Amino acid sequence: MQNNILEVKNLTKKFGSPAGEFTAVDNISFSLKEGEILGLLGPNGAGKTTTIHMLLGVTDPTEGEIRYFGKTFQKNKEEILKKINFASTYINLPRDFTVIQILDIFGRLYEVENRQKRIQKLLIAFDLERLKKRSYNQLSAGEKTRLVLTKAFLNYPKLILLDEPTASLDVEVAVKVREFLLKEKNEYSTSILLTSHNMSEVEEMCDRVVVINHGKIIDQGTPEKLIKSISRCEVELKIIDDFTKAAAFLKDRKVPFHQNKFSFTIPLEEKNVAELLTLLTYSHITYQEISIKKPDLEDYFLQVIQK
Amino acid sequence: MINFNRVWAMALRYTLNLTKNYDRLADMFYWPIVDILLWGLTGTYFVKESNNPNVIIIVLTGIIFWIVVWRAAYEIDINLLTELWDQNLINIFAAPLTLLEWIASFIIFGSVKTMVSLIFAGILSFILFQYNIFIYGLWIVPLIISLLITGWVIGFIVAAYLIRYGQKVQAIAWAATFIVAPFSAPYYPLDTLPNWAQLIAFFIPASYIFEGMREILFTGTISYAKLVISFALNIIYLLLSIWFFIYMFKRSRKLGLGRLQ
Repeated sequence: MQNNILEVKNLTKKFGSPAGEFTAVDNISFSLKEGEILGLLGPNGAGKTTTIHMLLGVTDPTEGEIRYFGKTFQKNKEEILKKINFASTYINLPRDFTVIQILDIFGRLYEVENRQKRIQKLLIAFDLERLKKRSYNQLSAGEKTRLVLTKAFLNYPKLILLDEPTASLDVEVAVKVREFLLKEKNEYSTSILLTSHNMSEVEEMCDRVVVINHGKIIDQGTPEKLIKSISRCEVELKIIDDFTKAAAFLKDRKVPFHQNKFSFTIPLEEKNVAELLTLLTYSHITYQEISIKKPDLEDYFLQVIQK
Repeated sequence: MINFNRVWAMALRYTLNLTKNYDRLADMFYWPIVDILLWGLTGTYFVKESNNPNVIIIVLTGIIFWIVVWRAAYEIDINLLTELWDQNLINIFAAPLTLLEWIASFIIFGSVKTMVSLIFAGILSFILFQYNIFIYGLWIVPLIISLLITGWVIGFIVAAYLIRYGQKVQAIAWAATFIVAPFSAPYYPLDTLPNWAQLIAFFIPASYIFEGMREILFTGTISYAKLVISFALNIIYLLLSIWFFIYMFKRSRKLGLGRLQ
C-alpha cells in the first residue's frame, strides 16, 4: 500500500481583521500518496497559490494541520523542507546571477550531495547547459521557467509543488518538461502537486484532481471520474441539402444548437444522441457527416465552476 | 541549531551580489572617500583657524567610526531589501533555511564588509591626513565591537519594519542610522547637546563610545564604566531588536510572505 506523503486536514486561511475578514482557503482536506500526481484545479483567486504557500511554510494557516511523511510540518519544518521543493512561474530568482550561480547557491542551501554532478545532469535535462553563464534577467520567459524547474529538482525531492509549471513554455519544451516530470515520478516515485490552467496537461499527467473554488473543495477524483460526471456531449452534424429543414426541426423540438454554414453543433445528453439521430432519419433529414465530441476536463471544469 | 553550510550559502549569495552591483561597491568605497576628503579638509581648515590640532583628529574619529555603525546597520537592511527586490524571499524560505541562519548570515557577511570599509577608511585617512586609527591602542577592539552591535540593533529594528511592510517603507533603511547619529555625538562632546538630547543620548550605546574615544585622545585612557554601560545597553537592545525582528517576521508570515514579492 502506498504511504501518504502529504496529508492536509481542515486547512483554513483567513486574511484581514475580524470586521473585514476574507477566507482565502476554507477548511480543505486532501492527501497525496507516494508517486502520485495530484492536480489542484481552480479559477484565478480560488485559493490555489495560498494553499501552496501554506504547504511551503511561507504563509501560516489560520487553522488546520499539514503533515508530510507522517510528521507535523510546523514542528519539523527544517527536516521536511529538505525533502520537498517547489517551482512557480510567478516567482523570480536573483536577477543578476548566472544560471550556474543560482543553482550553486540553492544546491548549498539544500545541502545537495554531489552538487556539481546533480546540477550538470539537470542542466542537460532542462536544456540549459548552453545558457549556464547567462544571467537570469537575460533569459527568455521559457528559459526562466526551465531554470525554476531545475532549481526545484536539485535536492532529489520526494514531493514537488508546481504552480503552473509549463505556463510560458512553448509547446515543444512543455512536452519535454511533462516527459521529465513523468520520468522522475516513475524512476524515483516523486510525488507531485500541480496547479495548471492547461486542462489537457492536467488530464494527461494527474492521477487525481482536487477542484477548488472560493477556497473550498468542490469536487475531487480521477480525471476520468470527473469527466464522466458530466453527461453532456456535442454532436456536430454536417447537413447540406436539408439544412433549412433541419433548423426548423431542431427549433420545433426546442433543442439548443449553434448553427454554422452547413453544420449544426448540438449540446446534448449522451443518452439522447441515438434518439436525435433516429428522429432525424424519420423526418427524412439527411446528414453528410457526424462527429460526437465527448466531454473533456475543460468541459467539466467550466461546468463545475459555473455552478 | 544553526547549520553553517546554509549560513555560508547565504553569505556567498550576498558576496556574489556585491560583485554584480556597483551600488554596493560604491557604498563600501565611494562614500567613505567622499566623507573623509570632505571632513578631513574641513578639519584641516579648522585646525588652521583655531590652532587646535585635535580638531581634525576628533572629526576624522567621528567620520571613520561612524562608518562602523552605519555599515553594520545598512548591510542587514540592504541584504533583506535585495531579497525583496529580487523577489527571492519565497525561494529561500521554502528552502530549509531557518530565520536564525538568515540572521547569522547577515551578521557574518555584514561584519566582514564593515571591517573592509573601516580598514579602507583608516588607510585613506592615514595617507591623506596622517590620521592613525590605532592611536586608541588595543581599546580599538572593544570600541569597534560595541559600535558594530549598535549598528546591528538599528539594522534589525529597520529590518523588522521591512519584513512586515515591504518595499513601501524602504526609505527608513537609509534614514534610520542618521536619526541616531546626533544623539551619539560622534563629532562633539556630549555636553554640546541640549539637556533633552543629552537625556536621549544617555540611552544610546554609541554615545558612550564616542565620548570614550575623545577621553582616550585627551587622557590616554577610558573609564570602564562607559564601556560597561555601552556593552550592557547594546546587549539588551540587540536581544530586543532580534526578538522584534523575529516577531515581525512571524506576523508577516501570517499575512503571507508572498505579498512582499
